[in-house]
Amino acid sequence: MKDTVKKWLEEKQVDMFLGYKMVHGHALPYCFQADRLDEVDDLVVSRERYSLEKMATHIAAVYPEMKIGMLARDCNQRALKVLDIWDQLKKDSVTTFNVNCCPSPLKNHGDCSYLEPSPVGPVKVELGIDNNMSVEHAEHLDQKERFAHWMYEFSKCIKCYGCRNICPVCFCKDCSLEHPELIRSGGALPTEVPLFHLVRAAHMAGRCIDCGLCEDACPMDIPLRLLYRKVGSSVSDLFGYRPGIDEGKSPFNLIGDAPTTEPRPI
Amino acid sequence: MEYKLVPSICSYCGCGCGVLFEVMDGQLVGTMPLKSHPVSQGKLCIKGWNLHEHVISEERLQTPLLKTNGALQEASWDASIQTTAERFKKIIAEHGPDSVAVLASAKVTNEENYLIQKFTRAVLGTNNVDHCARL
Ligand code: SF4
Ligand code: SF4
Repeated sequence: MKDTVKKWLEEKQVDMFLGYKMVHGHALPYCFQADRLDEVDDLVVSRERYSLEKMATHIAAVYPEMKIGMLARDCNQRALKVLDIWDQLKKDSVTTFNVNCCPSPLKNHGDCSYLEPSPVGPVKVELGIDNNMSVEHAEHLDQKERFAHWMYEFSKCIKCYGCRNICPVCFCKDCSLEHPELIRSGGALPTEVPLFHLVRAAHMAGRCIDCGLCEDACPMDIPLRLLYRKVGSSVSDLFGYRPGIDEGKSPFNLIGDAPTTEPRPI
Repeated sequence: MEYKLVPSICSYCGCGCGVLFEVMDGQLVGTMPLKSHPVSQGKLCIKGWNLHEHVISEERLQTPLLKTNGALQEASWDASIQTTAERFKKIIAEHGPDSVAVLASAKVTNEENYLIQKFTRAVLGTNNVDHCARL
């Protein structure tokens, strides 16, 4: 890996490479560059996952010509595909060095730290939603009970916007979650439940690549991933499209030749 | 082009959550949670997420403000410290040390906060000292 990255930098195949480096015992995202080639010896694949592609979009927004190299796990690759479709980060400007999901002594592939579910406590099981529940299981709960449990989860929200901020495929300049007619602005708490979460869920349709970073960043342990998985499964059932996996445009960014406000059959 | 991620600690309250500052060409452009931090474990509140905003804010005060003739006006550090010392002395002489209070800040270091409380207790002679981050 290190030799390849060095070669890419030396031969100017990439202008910079986003990977990880250990700093004070923390694996931190790090930008390796040709003028500091020795540092590539410190390149590591960390267990922590950061959205390197989000950082790449920030760089590309200022330096559109930059050829960016980056370490990519499966979720990074799915996010890159979506970012390309939505014209946030063009495919041609990114070269990935593909690595397995988070390293673990037990498994050598597909074993990202997040995919090892952590058990939830008794209160959450009683009142809320088990984060590890499958969409199918959640759908089969009694409707009234299901509503009450989701409302319990949503009402914990402290409106930190972490779920939006960390999301690799959240990039809109004007965010509906800050629209004053939908969500009271400023620090007004509690937030509008379930509106806040449903607005975000609706906007994740055809975009969420199920990386789990939002749930990871949620201080209130709200099962966001399950919610967006449900939205994703609806999109996949209706349009046969799975973001980050299937090729081509998302059904949500296809505009017909003549835009119309007439309802169309799905 | 220079792009760095600088680990730091959130300065908003006493929890001490880990943050990563996103720095592009020497300019602070963003804040994100430090995933491996033992305190915050990759989570932040809304203030932590927006730490960079108060640093780059145009409204950020860069000099002390002194109330002169009823309005706040920019003043030098020397003049501000001098005025504060004179007013403290006058108020304490007239009404006793418990008539003043000091509010410390989360935006300064632990050591500076230590000095502030020491100054308040040992020099001013009052226990009226508090901190914005005493959540
Ligand atoms: S799982 Fe969360 S962070 Fe990841 S793409 Fe979906 S909404 Fe965004
Ligand atoms: S990360 Fe969790 S607590 Fe923060 S706004 Fe999103 S749902 Fe609410």
